[in-house]
Amino acid sequence: MRERINFEDVSVGDAVGPLGKGPFTTPHLMRWSAAMENWHKIHYDQPFTTGHDKLPGLLINGSLKQQFIAQLLKDWAGRDGWMWKVSFQFRAMNVVGETLSVWARVTGKREMPDYGLVDLDVGISNERGVESTPGSAVVALPYRGRAPVPYPFVPPAPV
Amino acid sequence: MTLLTDEVRSYIGREGPTFAACDAVEAGAVRRYAQAIMDPDPAYASDQEGVRYGGAVAPPLYPSFMFRTPFGAPDVLTERAHDPDFDGIVMGVGNGLPELPLHGLALLNGGAEVEFFAYARHGERVLQKSHFADIQEKQTKSGPMLLVIFETEFTNEAGQLLLRSRKTIIRR
Repeated sequence: MRERINFEDVSVGDAVGPLGKGPFTTPHLMRWSAAMENWHKIHYDQPFTTGHDKLPGLLINGSLKQQFIAQLLKDWAGRDGWMWKVSFQFRAMNVVGETLSVWARVTGKREMPDYGLVDLDVGISNERGVESTPGSAVVALPYRGRAPVPYPFVPPAPV
Repeated sequence: MTLLTDEVRSYIGREGPTFAACDAVEAGAVRRYAQAIMDPDPAYASDQEGVRYGGAVAPPLYPSFMFRTPFGAPDVLTERAHDPDFDGIVMGVGNGLPELPLHGLALLNGGAEVEFFAYARHGERVLQKSHFADIQEKQTKSGPMLLVIFETEFTNEAGQLLLRSRKTIIRR
């Protein structure tokens, strides 16, 4: 977790991350299922998952994958910045045994009175390069030599 | 054929109640959650590291995962122990919104947008309130489908907005 990255130090096209996660094992999914108290069998019950539900393997929870995108952006924004908005779709399954790479790329910059907004594309790909969780995000960053982004975060007035 | 009947359309804007998660933000629950998502941010355990946020906090999405099955609720796992088709899903407390009159339509997760405003601090109670933001119909090769968009706001007891999620559920 960094302290600060200034809006001025970011350029369109910059890569953020990647943040590596895995390889995923059944205990990883058990640990997350227990932490969130979700007992959906497709994350830990192999016979049910492949036999009854005809899935290719135990599925890495979409709810877990979204945490990784949040972690990447939060850590990149630093204590003085703020991850404002994240949107994503669950497009493909990831199963036990895979290693995931959580990535983001800067696609735009917008100057607001009190901070700058950085637009990003985000996603999660596996070791075969298959994208499972494409989306976009907006992160607020402080201007160089100026105060941190206000906390709690106050979004810019709609234009 | 249309799925978006006047009856279904009348749900747009309808609100559920405001209700609290069964437990406050607990340090031990935060630790297990942070270890499970493999995010070692020291602000999840230390008031000093979380000083910018007013003390130790929970991970950003944590408030939306706090609405667990309350103590004393029926034990669905035991009730359905002999059902070979039981997939393990326990709906818990849901989001407080009424069921749409879409009998027999399959339900798919169509993605989500989340806005973050503040962290939940250790010891805080969290509340949620949802409403149907929009219901749209789309035509596909295999027939019509509905996009049901609902928004949930999570706040702390002081009324500070923590996060807002906008989820799209596909019904077809």
